[in-house]
Amino acid sequence: MARVALEDLTKRYAGGNLAVDKLNLDVADGEFVCLVGPSGCGKTTALRMIAGLEDITSGWVRIGDKVVNLLPPRDRDIALVFQSYALYPHMSVFDNMGFGLQLRKTPKAQIDKAVRNAARILDLEAFLDRKPGQLSGGQRQRVALGRAIVREPAAFLMDEPLSNLDAKLRVQTRAEIARLHQRLEATMIYVTHDQVEAMTMADRIAVINDGVLQQVGTPKELYEQPRNHFVAGFIGSPSMNFVDLAVQLGNTSRLAGDGVEVRLDDTQAALLRDRGLETVTVGFRPEHLEIGKPEGPGLRVSASIDVVEFLGNDELIHAVSGGRDLVAVVEAGGSLQVGDSIFLSASPRHVYLFEPDHGLSLASR
Amino acid sequence: MTSALRTQGLAQQVARQRWRILRRLRPSRLVLNGIIGLIALFWMLPTISLAIISFRPAGLFNISGWWTVLTAPTQLTLKNYQDLLFSTPHSVIPTGFAAGSILDSLVTTAAITIPATVLVTAISSLAAYSLVFGRWRGRTVVFLGIVALLVVPLQVAIIPVAQLYASFKSLTGITVFGTLPGVVIFHVAFGLPFGIFLMRNFYTGIPKDLLEAGRIDGAGEWTLFRRVVIPLGLPAAASLAIFQFIWVWNDLLVGLVFLGGNAHHTLTLFLYGQTRTLAADYWVISAGAMISVIVPLAIFFAFQRYFVRGVLAGAVK
Amino acid sequence: MVKTKGASRLPRPDASEPAEAVRLPGGRWHRHLGSLAFIAPGAIWLLAIVGYPLLETIRDSFYNSDSTRFVGVANFKTIFSTADILVTFRNNVIWVIVFPFFVTFLGLVFAVLTERIRWATAFKAIIFMPIAFSATTSGLVWNSIMNIDPHVGMVNATLETVSDWFSPPGLYPVNTSAGQTVAALAATGLRSGPGGTLESTATVAAGQTAKLGLVGISPTALQMIGAAQAVVAPPAPGRVSGLVWRDFSPSHPTDRGTVFSDEDGVAGLSVTLLGGDGSSAGSTVTDSHGDFTFTGVGSGTYRIQLDSSNFSSGFTGIYWLSGTQSLTPTSGLSQTAQALFSIPLVDLSMIIAYLWIWAGFAMVIIGAGLASLNREVLEAARIDGATEWQTFRRVTMPMLAPVLVVVLVTMIINVLKVFDIIVNMAPSTSQANTLAVAMYDYGFASSPSNNGLASAIALILFVLVMPVIYINLKRIR
Repeated sequence: MARVALEDLTKRYAGGNLAVDKLNLDVADGEFVCLVGPSGCGKTTALRMIAGLEDITSGWVRIGDKVVNLLPPRDRDIALVFQSYALYPHMSVFDNMGFGLQLRKTPKAQIDKAVRNAARILDLEAFLDRKPGQLSGGQRQRVALGRAIVREPAAFLMDEPLSNLDAKLRVQTRAEIARLHQRLEATMIYVTHDQVEAMTMADRIAVINDGVLQQVGTPKELYEQPRNHFVAGFIGSPSMNFVDLAVQLGNTSRLAGDGVEVRLDDTQAALLRDRGLETVTVGFRPEHLEIGKPEGPGLRVSASIDVVEFLGNDELIHAVSGGRDLVAVVEAGGSLQVGDSIFLSASPRHVYLFEPDHGLSLASR
Repeated sequence: MTSALRTQGLAQQVARQRWRILRRLRPSRLVLNGIIGLIALFWMLPTISLAIISFRPAGLFNISGWWTVLTAPTQLTLKNYQDLLFSTPHSVIPTGFAAGSILDSLVTTAAITIPATVLVTAISSLAAYSLVFGRWRGRTVVFLGIVALLVVPLQVAIIPVAQLYASFKSLTGITVFGTLPGVVIFHVAFGLPFGIFLMRNFYTGIPKDLLEAGRIDGAGEWTLFRRVVIPLGLPAAASLAIFQFIWVWNDLLVGLVFLGGNAHHTLTLFLYGQTRTLAADYWVISAGAMISVIVPLAIFFAFQRYFVRGVLAGAVK
Repeated sequence: MVKTKGASRLPRPDASEPAEAVRLPGGRWHRHLGSLAFIAPGAIWLLAIVGYPLLETIRDSFYNSDSTRFVGVANFKTIFSTADILVTFRNNVIWVIVFPFFVTFLGLVFAVLTERIRWATAFKAIIFMPIAFSATTSGLVWNSIMNIDPHVGMVNATLETVSDWFSPPGLYPVNTSAGQTVAALAATGLRSGPGGTLESTATVAAGQTAKLGLVGISPTALQMIGAAQAVVAPPAPGRVSGLVWRDFSPSHPTDRGTVFSDEDGVAGLSVTLLGGDGSSAGSTVTDSHGDFTFTGVGSGTYRIQLDSSNFSSGFTGIYWLSGTQSLTPTSGLSQTAQALFSIPLVDLSMIIAYLWIWAGFAMVIIGAGLASLNREVLEAARIDGATEWQTFRRVTMPMLAPVLVVVLVTMIINVLKVFDIIVNMAPSTSQANTLAVAMYDYGFASSPSNNGLASAIALILFVLVMPVIYINLKRIR
């Protein structure tokens, strides 16, 4: 097990396309870090550079206390679980899992022990003699995991390993990987575009967009203190609502727009006063909205209901306010009808303010 | 009662309709099968004729057609083969495994075909691996060069290569022209473009992830090639090998040129030589031709699927 | 390699880093070298045995016969002014125009037909099988199939059967196409008559006998017909009688005119009694002793005629492998023009044999093309109301066109280089030679060989395939 550190890691393709731009990330020994971002953001490229499958343009990758920039993958002591699983179709499950050890000239008995151990953990014992083609998607996925486990690598790298599974299996396997992490206490770097996966499994999450690291933090930190507009919008489901409002500073400082009003508390007003902004982007999460029109500071919206989606415990409300689409999650059981006019509100601590031009959170200074 | 009657009437109606459809279909289907059957028969006739001629007494060749066997099956005899394979008073050419005999030609042909096939398959696989999974620059250019060579007629090379062999001899004292290796070297060269083309097309279908998984598992290029790519590429390699085998086995021109002067002949050279002797003995030719087609025919029928795949890979892609 | 420089330009992360970390083995250029080595055997082989020789051939084609003196385009001038080589051009043109078209057509027909039968696999194997034979073997097989003798060649045997149905041969056929004549049969008391008949030199009258001797009659034929010893028929009043016999005695080989005991009568011969004005006064057939009798003969003198039907040769076989019989009229043309514009029968015969070899190839490729067509599009056409033929013509064919082009192109290349079938199927004529044969002849079979000329022909072959190289490259890109 080892620490993995990326220092100013950069990848520029031959065409000049900058895929990863000065990525700095320190993954502690035994930590589970998710690289998350929209597709094409460079997260997979970063992972492949750690694995040694992609040449590094500049910057450094350390695994343990060794710089591995020029090491071929086999000398980096890492395992990679591929999105496609990349199982050798002509080898049995046993051979697939044992191939790496075999190449390292590990004694047969030891390989056997390691493979059987991994198979037991992953519940694959019954399939060891089968070929990958005879397995279901979920089983193949577990073989891919098993191949990584058997090697006992310094770090596990996983490239969207769940994206080829159906929704139900994905939830199951997610839990399995989380359990595996606890059990092995291994360093894991996990790439996904699905923020739910990241939120549920990771110790820390690194959000990447356009090759640039946006924010690193625990799921809770990212959720509660997004550093910028992008992270705020990317983390959380459904996504945060954003509206641009005009700043009106005075006795009662407020932000106002068509159908939306924010009465600022003192700290927020002070922040805005400092910046001297004329407009500001206001974000608020759908799950923080409540129906009603309280007094005091906070956000209030008057809107008319466009669509109501029943989710069981909750209802997802798509509402229109001043030409803007907003989403709110409220407790089910109300008698909300399409076309109804409603008031929605949120408390000041659930209102996020971002600079309108580069999207930085005001709270993060 | 009435409904039962109606059902009965309906059943009759359906039966009648079915009969009408059948009647319309049957004759045309029969005619079609008949025509296709005739074509098939026609296509087999040359082969059948060769086989029967080889089993008829030599003296009858100019007197009556092979088809008279149909009314006089007692004509059939193994004598031609005996005279061809074993030394008998009727043997006109070397027999047994003596140089110039049919069995010697069979061995010679195999001694050329097997190495030429193995080499082309191996070298093509290696080259295709490099073209598909290597990361050096200029792979596309090299591949296009190979595509360009696909249809180059071998005529453009025979004279210079013959000279090349000659100068190789004067440099090193090693004779290549007129030897089996000389023939093999030339066959391999002209088998490679197609071989590399076919293998490359197949290898591009192997997911790159597999190779990367192998690299992470600790495999070097050679291990990846041997343990991952070769097993996966086996169907293509089989197609290539069978295609190449039949091609080389049946070649005449390369043997004619590069085996010139050698006492050992390929099967095609053996037959070609027979047609050019003054008394062209068709019994020798027919029995010899039968022996010459046994091996490629057996391979063709055993591996027809792979052979077809090789043909398709070369032509459609 | 240039790329490694990038690695050394990397900033050092911190001073405590061990220096060797940046120069660890197994860097990327190493990896590239590994896979680069894999192409080396193939590349070297191709460069040495295909690439370099190609350049050498280009050079040689502008040099003299032993490649020692530059001669400019002299070799090409020779090629285009030597009748024998021009003939090979003509043959290549015939092959390229005729063969690819027909083989594609046959392949298409077979591919479509096989889609409708249950035993398609067996049928395909039968049609495809000749490709496993060497063209040498196929050439030899077809050489016998196309043999001129109807007793040997299957094609001529079939034609003979048909022909005999309409005009059966006589009992004593004379093969006029092989230079034999009926007149040569006359030995004793006979002369050549009109229209391939023989007639008696002397006239006869009632009560007389005639002795008519023939030579060149096959004893085997007589034996098969059941002829017996020749006996001179006795004369009788009111009758004209006579004997027709094989006037050749093994015991007296030089004696003509005497009837020996070891001579047989010519049995079954149609004989006509001709009146003075040449009109028929009766006809009969000789018996097993060769005797014939006309009864009730009136006064006057007569001649005896042996009818032409006795000697009719019937069908004697078409010379399929002839290099001189042309399918196009060549009369009234200069000799060069005749050579250039005739289509020798042998070309057609060889193309038929070659079709037999390659139709399976075309069928398999086109069949695969058919199988890969989108069935739903064809079904849509049906739904739109197209008949089977309309579907084929308007939907299937256009969708199949690329495959047909591939077959055509492959076959054009194939026949440009056609060699084996020519030298094995038609070894007796040079009229069938193609460029590839000429190239071999000048380069290796003639003494002394002419490298310059042979190289020039090879170069022409190469230039002819260059459009296909271009097409291939475009398709791959």
